[in-house]
Amino acid sequence: MGKRLSTYGPFIPVLALYVIIFLVGKGVQGMWQVMAMLTFYCALGQAFNIFLGMTGYVDFGYVAFLGVGTYGMALSITYLAHQGMTGPAVIIIGFLLALIFPALLSMAVGAVALRLRGAYFAIATIGVNEGFRYLIEGAKIWNGSEGMIFTSELNQVLGRDTASGLSTFWADVYLFIIAALAALVTLHFMRSRIGYALTALREDEDAAKVMGINVTKYKIIAFITSACFAGLVGGTSWALKTPYVFPPEVFEIHYTIEAIIIVLLGGAGTLMGPVIGALIYGLSKYYLSIILPGFQLLIFAPIIIVIIIAFPDGVMGVVKQRLRGTSLARFIE
Amino acid sequence: MLQVSELESGYGPMQVLWKPSIRVRKGTITSLLGPNGVGKSTFLMTVFGSVTPWSGKIIYEGEEVTHLPTHIKVDKGLTLVPEGKHLFGGMTVYENLMMGAYLKRAQQYREESLELVYSLFPRLKERGKQLAGSLSGGEQQMVTVARALMSKPKMIMLDEPSQGLAPLLVQHVFETIQKMKAQVGLTILLVEQNADASLAATDYVYVMHEGRIKAEGTPEDIKSSDEIREAYLGL
Repeated sequence: MGKRLSTYGPFIPVLALYVIIFLVGKGVQGMWQVMAMLTFYCALGQAFNIFLGMTGYVDFGYVAFLGVGTYGMALSITYLAHQGMTGPAVIIIGFLLALIFPALLSMAVGAVALRLRGAYFAIATIGVNEGFRYLIEGAKIWNGSEGMIFTSELNQVLGRDTASGLSTFWADVYLFIIAALAALVTLHFMRSRIGYALTALREDEDAAKVMGINVTKYKIIAFITSACFAGLVGGTSWALKTPYVFPPEVFEIHYTIEAIIIVLLGGAGTLMGPVIGALIYGLSKYYLSIILPGFQLLIFAPIIIVIIIAFPDGVMGVVKQRLRGTSLARFIE
Repeated sequence: MLQVSELESGYGPMQVLWKPSIRVRKGTITSLLGPNGVGKSTFLMTVFGSVTPWSGKIIYEGEEVTHLPTHIKVDKGLTLVPEGKHLFGGMTVYENLMMGAYLKRAQQYREESLELVYSLFPRLKERGKQLAGSLSGGEQQMVTVARALMSKPKMIMLDEPSQGLAPLLVQHVFETIQKMKAQVGLTILLVEQNADASLAATDYVYVMHEGRIKAEGTPEDIKSSDEIREAYLGL
């Protein structure tokens, strides 16, 4: 028990934060949509952290994995509804496709782009995202630029009540679960040889090679894992919550930028960082838009710059350093 | 131990190595000398696999390893200490050393290796809890070599271990390299610009120029040939 506690102890405060977010959303009048937005950011950050945080590689095309995950869910619902299939099995198959599509895309992208380092990798990945979007639009794959609207198919598969319950409540609950799972996988990586190898290659790839680490293998493991979680986030938050998908929306680079900000604000490579980053980012974005509608970005940008300067390793990076050697340290990662 | 024949490699369209061949006998220190920019580091990196060989053959312990990836080579006991200070600055010296024992093969001998490393570099034992990034240049160099030793190598390739160090430390580095051979039984391939110090410490010497081996022999042979000394080593 003692060993297990020290291994998985840091998961407790993260889970506690998720429960608090959930309870505030459920209990406080009018807060559900805010908390749902925060959950999306938490899940996005938590998923992206597995790659960006643990390897130090910046993937500017990350949103593409959310995009293909969304398509995975959308295709499953649309196609199976036309086949006359109904029930939760359709959604389960949708989740499987939301895993398989990003897994395949990340393998293809990773095999090529992960040979590049630093800025070259970042630039190559922007190309992938844009390229994939124009491929779908230009070649009229999956309805091309018209996108897919599957509200009636979703109603047909699940029944009207369940479908609307899904979009107003249950999709967000799934997101909580996905975010928590992503955190658990992150912690599992941190505590295993995978995390050991990833830390080494993040700090110094040449040194990692000298230690006998198969750097390509571990980069790809982190990349695929991260992409799969992105696919689940897309399939849940974008397909189940709002049953339509348009290429310009699901390949919008803006979401990648948000994910990067969240991870860096909270502390890249830490377990709790993405949650903290999502809370800071989501809450300030939301309340600034209420207090200063229209000016939020003007205020927001300097705030982010100040935080990054004050906490170059992210909020959790600093907290971790402060707690080093204290009894609290084993609950914070 | 290691036999490299007619190795060719380079970067993009630029060829750096023009078929140099060398042989490193087991339990010896062999050095590859030459001025800046003649392909010495590229040679080591190509043998290690971080630069892809275009053609040629690399035989290590009787087995062809030309196209094996780096992590397999390390597992077989062939490792490289790259040029410059590639250490994990945010970790302590001890943590850096422990990271060196990443391989399963090395992990079980972790404590033994640590003792060995501390006996070779007593300074690192004192500095164990200090952040590696805060050490002096010479100490950082020790950490990178020590970390490589933690992977339990049989043969180690050192890329300019004396680079940027004060003359007194340079001497210390070469003494340690000789200890690594004598006490640990390691085979060592050394790349150096510091011809003077390496000639004094090595068993066999290759002189490289423009990606080719221009001369070879015992340190005495090299030292006694005025032509080689003047043309390639600047002594």
